[in-house]
Amino acid sequence: MSQTPHAVEARHLVKGYGVVRAVQDVSFQVPRGEIFGFLGANGAGKTTTLRMLCGLIRPTAGTALIDGFDVFAQPMEAKARLGYLDEEPFIHPHLTGREFLDYIADLYRMPRGPERHRRMERLLGLFELADRDGELVGAYSHGMKQKIGLASLLIREPSVLLLDEPTNGLDPRSARLVKDLLEELATRGTTVLLSTHILEVAQALCRRIAIMDRGHLVATGTMEELRTQAGSAQATLEDLFLRLTAGPESSELIERLLAPQP
Amino acid sequence: MSRSAVGIILRAEWRAWRNRIAKANPLRVVGLVVFALLGGTVFGGFLFALAAAAGHLLPSARDAMLAGAFTALSVLMLVVGFPSVIATYFAGRDLMQLVLAPVRSIEIFLARSLFAMSANLLVAVVFLIFVAGVGAGSGASPLYYLLALALVFVQVLLVTALQATFMAAVLRWVPARIARDVAVAVASIAGGGLYLAWNLTLRQTLGSFAPRHQPDLSSLVSSLQRIEWVPSSWPGHALSAVIEGNASAALVWTGVTLVFAIVVVGAAALLYERTLLAGLGLLGGVPSRWRTRRRKPPRVAAAGAGSPGFAIARKDWIAYRRDIRRLSRFLPAMIFLLAYAVLLIRPGRGIDLFWNDVFVVAFVSLFMSMMFATTAIPAERRGYQLLRLAPVTSWQLIRAKVLFTLVPVLALTGVISLGLSLAGGNSPWKTLQVALLAVWLGVGCVCIGVSAGAIDPNFESADDRRSVGIVGTFAAMGGELAFGLFSVGALALFYLAASLAAGNAVAGLPVAATPAFAVASVVIAVALAAAGASVVVLMLWLANSHLRGFENSIVSN
Ligand SMILES: Nc1ncnc2c1ncn2[C@@H]1O[C@H](COP(=O)(O)OP(=O)(O)OP(=O)(O)O)[C@@H](O)[C@H]1O
Ligand SMILES: [Mg+2]
Repeated sequence: MSQTPHAVEARHLVKGYGVVRAVQDVSFQVPRGEIFGFLGANGAGKTTTLRMLCGLIRPTAGTALIDGFDVFAQPMEAKARLGYLDEEPFIHPHLTGREFLDYIADLYRMPRGPERHRRMERLLGLFELADRDGELVGAYSHGMKQKIGLASLLIREPSVLLLDEPTNGLDPRSARLVKDLLEELATRGTTVLLSTHILEVAQALCRRIAIMDRGHLVATGTMEELRTQAGSAQATLEDLFLRLTAGPESSELIERLLAPQP
Repeated sequence: MSRSAVGIILRAEWRAWRNRIAKANPLRVVGLVVFALLGGTVFGGFLFALAAAAGHLLPSARDAMLAGAFTALSVLMLVVGFPSVIATYFAGRDLMQLVLAPVRSIEIFLARSLFAMSANLLVAVVFLIFVAGVGAGSGASPLYYLLALALVFVQVLLVTALQATFMAAVLRWVPARIARDVAVAVASIAGGGLYLAWNLTLRQTLGSFAPRHQPDLSSLVSSLQRIEWVPSSWPGHALSAVIEGNASAALVWTGVTLVFAIVVVGAAALLYERTLLAGLGLLGGVPSRWRTRRRKPPRVAAAGAGSPGFAIARKDWIAYRRDIRRLSRFLPAMIFLLAYAVLLIRPGRGIDLFWNDVFVVAFVSLFMSMMFATTAIPAERRGYQLLRLAPVTSWQLIRAKVLFTLVPVLALTGVISLGLSLAGGNSPWKTLQVALLAVWLGVGCVCIGVSAGAIDPNFESADDRRSVGIVGTFAAMGGELAFGLFSVGALALFYLAASLAAGNAVAGLPVAATPAFAVASVVIAVALAAAGASVVVLMLWLANSHLRGFENSIVSN
């Protein structure tokens, strides 16, 4: 093992649900301060991988390490360093935004007092939730839930962020805000793993990209490395994605759908 | 439309249910079925025999028993049924889908009615056994059983429709601003009020034990002067008329029951048509705004590190006050409980009411912990994943939930036991004993209840009552009953020991008033208390190890 462990390391992660193999032998390492992107078709296993990394689901085989701590063997150390945002953020519907942030801060034993309060107000202001006082999180719109979920991670400044489609449902301004924020956090040493379907987000943000297909990691690397792997220097990320994740051509499918029935 | 929407909806519900069973562990399903069959046979047989004996030996009380049984059924359904009525008629994402589809509200109402009745029908089976037992004991004709089956079904339908009517009426005529609160109040008063009426009825009829007057049209008038006009007793009168062979009275009582049912169901269907959308908006989810006082100066004085335990407790306290389904389940039960306790408080007449008080305290502890403790952990819902993500151990979570639940349970048992003691004129020493017992039982039952909820949680359930699985419910009931019996048994043995040591033999017990027997009963008492405590420890241990290894698929919503 090296002196400084990787911020995130997946070692031969496997997850099976009965006969369904959701994730098969996925290994990768993410150094500190890097933004790492997960791409893949619906059902490819991105969410499952992220949930194994944060300790929500136990891998059938393999290990997940956060800052060198095994998520299942040393959960307290790993969890204190980790922030995870689910596809559909976990919230408590009957709390207001402020109460929810307070709850999360308490769960992670953050010191109470004016410092925490200022931080909370700044975050609420940043995500334009400050004037939603008295409104319950359960009644928030989809994008607002996403934002309060992000705020609940950022209030505690975790060193590793695992984000499942963080810009999903955000308006253009907020999506931009999140992108800028993640870049800024990464330059300050926060490690970010995110899954996304928006190739432009992946291309703009991520230093390295992993592409998953039906539970397998089919490619990992920077854009250049992916291009060399695919053998074409001009390929866009979309080309690479379509080439690496097999499936019939969409034009063919559309033709079949719209063809007159016999 | 070629097929009826009701059929399509029900078929989809049935398929979902079948898939759930198919996905469950087959061993568990078989185990549950065997357990239910065995338990059902034993319990049902006992109930049947009891009812048959009562029907045979007390012919004059048949009418009161049947009327009482039907009213008890209605009260039980009214008290426990409101949350599921709200859930099935006015909440749920699947309901949204039905509203979007070209389906008429009346069809939604009908399809949902069967769904809403399913739980109540299960409860009704118990009453059907009782009613059948009374019939068997009275040598009733086959017509009796057929009518009983039909009337129990009608009663379930009626109560369900009544609840829907209440809710719809509130939604229709009460301003939206306060509709939620009024709905909760209606739910509580409906259950509690009818319960009191029922109790008074029973006291009057069983108290007098006078031979029943002939129940025909003329007696309807005299009945009006009694509290038996409560409609829920009508089917009981109809059945007792069948036993007596009084065809005209049976027809009249059955007729009024049916007419009443038709009126209520019709009203419910009509009102539902007009309030479905309003209800979906108001009860279907979380209220969008919560009345908070105008931004008070931020509470920043608090210093020191945040504490997960207190954070969980604070959050639960806030959520409890804002969750209408929880409130509508909790308030009627509280009224029920208080009414029960008040009815058992009797002014002291020189007799020692100590054991009466012990019984009440035990009942209240059991009831309260079934109410609060069992759902404590499953009520985290999806938010439970936040706790799994946080550096909080499952033991910390259990401890926080136990401590938070203990506060209301101990407060209420304390108030009730003090009230009993004061009203009964107990000596301070006896009062202290009752209070200590309340604390012991409260702590034990809450620990068992919280653990049972943790053993079999269903975090995806939107309704508190389905948030604990069958295994958890049985574990809670079994564990609490065992603990309660051990504890009260230990107390009784201590008393026996004291009396034996003082040289007073207890009549009917084959033990002499010698020190040896006194010591022996103290030893057994201590062993029983230890057994009770070990039930608690075992449950806590099971809960902790289960939560630690917990992994369940995370379904959205
Ligand atoms: N609880 C579960 N039980 C059974 N199968 C599951 C479960 N959760 C996920 N799966 C299966 O695992 C596979 C991977 O799912 P996953 O949610 O990880 O995909 P994803 O890459 O996140 O997809 P999306 O882009 O749609 O979010 C899918 O085939 C899914 O059906
Ligand atoms: Mg996903």
